[in-house]
Amino acid sequence: MKILVALKRVADPDNANKVKIPASGDKVETAGLEWKLNPFDDYALEAALRLTENGKNPKARVGEVVVVTLGPKECETQLRSALATGADRAIRVEATDEALDGRLVAHALRAIVAEEKPDLVVMGKQAVDGDNNQVGQALAELLDWPMATFAATIEEEAAGSVLVGREVDGGVCTLRLKPPAVITVDLRIVAPASVYSKHTDKAHKYADGVRFAALPAIMAAKKKPLAVKTLAEVTGGATPTASYAKFELPPARKAGIKVKDVAELVQRLATEAKVL
Amino acid sequence: MIEWSETHLAIREMTRRFVEAEIVPKLDDLEHGDLPPYDILRKMLATFGMRDMAQVRLGKALAKVKAREEAIARGETPPATVEREASGEEVAMQMIPIIELSRHCPGMVTALGVSVGLTAGTITSRGTSRQIERWALDLLTLDKVGAWAITEPGSGSDAFGSMKASARRVDGGYVLNGNKTFITNGPYADTLVVICKLDDPGSPRGNEPKDRQVLSFVLDRGTKGLTQSKPLRKMGMHSSPTGELFLEDVFVEKDRLLGETETVSYRTGVKDTFTSERTGVAAMALGIVEECLRLSLEYARTRVQFGKPIGEFQLIQLKIAKMEVARMNIQNLVFRMIELGRAGKGLSLAEASACKLYCAQAAMEVALEAVQLFGGNGYMAEYRVEQLCRDAKVLQIYGGTDEIQTSQIARSLLAG
Ligand SMILES: Cc1cc2nc3c(=O)[nH]c(=O)nc-3n(C[C@H](O)[C@H](O)[C@H](O)COP(=O)(O)OP(=O)(O)OC[C@H]3O[C@@H](n4cnc5c(N)ncnc54)[C@H](O)[C@@H]3O)c2cc1C
Repeated sequence: MKILVALKRVADPDNANKVKIPASGDKVETAGLEWKLNPFDDYALEAALRLTENGKNPKARVGEVVVVTLGPKECETQLRSALATGADRAIRVEATDEALDGRLVAHALRAIVAEEKPDLVVMGKQAVDGDNNQVGQALAELLDWPMATFAATIEEEAAGSVLVGREVDGGVCTLRLKPPAVITVDLRIVAPASVYSKHTDKAHKYADGVRFAALPAIMAAKKKPLAVKTLAEVTGGATPTASYAKFELPPARKAGIKVKDVAELVQRLATEAKVL
Repeated sequence: MIEWSETHLAIREMTRRFVEAEIVPKLDDLEHGDLPPYDILRKMLATFGMRDMAQVRLGKALAKVKAREEAIARGETPPATVEREASGEEVAMQMIPIIELSRHCPGMVTALGVSVGLTAGTITSRGTSRQIERWALDLLTLDKVGAWAITEPGSGSDAFGSMKASARRVDGGYVLNGNKTFITNGPYADTLVVICKLDDPGSPRGNEPKDRQVLSFVLDRGTKGLTQSKPLRKMGMHSSPTGELFLEDVFVEKDRLLGETETVSYRTGVKDTFTSERTGVAAMALGIVEECLRLSLEYARTRVQFGKPIGEFQLIQLKIAKMEVARMNIQNLVFRMIELGRAGKGLSLAEASACKLYCAQAAMEVALEAVQLFGGNGYMAEYRVEQLCRDAKVLQIYGGTDEIQTSQIARSLLAG
């Protein structure tokens, strides 16, 4: 199986308090932010690796994983790290976040898919910076491929189809997709028994979470191929149709008050909060 | 080398993720409970492919020792010293995990370093090929925990001079007696290198303790007459168990004498051991200093007194500036060690001592200043600089005290 995984670097969500917005409100200040791979994309990579191996012997790969990102040169750090973790090749499309919207990214990925011809595109359900949740769906539409979003489980069947479990209100909805297809993943996809390639025994349990790269693999990742493309090469003239109008930080939380007794609490809940 | 490469940063990122996922949540048990560090360390070695790397490295070392033994068997004289090999990124691959571990848990580095570096290292550099095959691999992978024992209640800085532990020849081997103390991993060790003096009334050099030959033996846990104490209570490095060893008429067979010959004193070549021990301290110091600085910056930005963040007071700025100076200096020393490794060169003993002296003092100063910057919170365990401060202190004591480093630097320079 050949899988294309789309990755995006985001400002470290654990340091969200470092995000600054200039008085003009026209952008997010990116200087000084620490960058990480979008967590859902990390899960997508883990799912793709599990789908291209026998879980008992993950060193022997059975399939190909190609990772792609749209971003500046610094994003190659995240690509190299994906290569160290097990991806075979990487592609970076030179771009800055401001020049992109979800639709344009989907157009770019369509062009990459046309070239790479993967069996599956696996991606995070959304990037935790913009929380847009658009690209996977838009890409499936552009490709006219079947799609499963928010996947919690993926199982490759002997016949070549994939079963995708989606957690929905009150239960699990299972889809059978015939590749080529687009799958976006949710966080439960990295649980120990979430993803099985047809080579992996169903009794096998993975370590919870995403895998670590061994140090020799990090060294070897330097030598794996990383191709760079321009945005113009892959968007076929498409332009962003959404633009950012204004950014502002959430209002600072106001200090709370202390009440002296239950009577005052009840009275304030009734007259001020009006919840009683 | 002027900065970390992309590959170094990737190694840092991976090890950092491991430390945050596997060690930080267990810090309380490691620090204040009785959780020994070995299972986590084993998992780390396996996760990062360090087990496989150790195996490869040992294979190479073993091949050299065998070639040497074969040359001697053919009646040839092998070269007196083995040439160092350019180690590529090996030094960096060792140092980066040490730095990352030390940000949260320097004790883990001590426990690991003594087992893998000192104990396995001593056996590989002094043992015969049979002895290396018998003990070294299990130690390098931490399948077995190692300890290395020279210090005694009455002999520390003057380790060789005042050593009382003795080995007496008997039929088929030796009988060992003595006490060792402050032994890292002592309570849990499976394989122990114990350093003793040969008690030989017939020796032509005399049998005064100061004239006795220094020998080292490899003992197993459970050997009759060997007692391993419970962990001693101590100021810091709580995640590294330290204990006493008691040897009462411990009989060992001849094949447990390292090198399998009495003619080579343990003192020969001991400088190499000291040098490698001392370079590890630089990486530990860097981890401690980086973490203290990071925590201090965060606190100085957010802690408000007299209506402003304390970072706006010049006396607090002075502390931060000094921490940055120390961080840059230690980092430069670490870069130099990585560069030397790549070139197949090492530090001289004087240089290694100077590095250790500076790094240990700088780490201690930075950690103390961090506690001060945090005020009362700094004194509380919750704010973490308290632990780093207690841990940093030992860097000035073990592996040769500051005072011993100082005199070694001067003496070795004066000797020319
Ligand atoms: C946590 C920990 C782990 C350790 N792990 C091990 C281990 O695994 N194996 C092992 O064998 N040992 C270990 N040690 C022992 C350690 O190496 C010794 O504590 C150290 O060498 C100092 O010896 P000492 O404690 O006897 O101090 P002493 O030698 O008694 O020193 C006391 C003071 O006198 C000073 N002093 C001594 N001689 C001189 C001099 N000539 N000039 C000026 N000042 C001098 C010292 O610097 C020190 O300040 C460990 C110690 C600690 C604390």
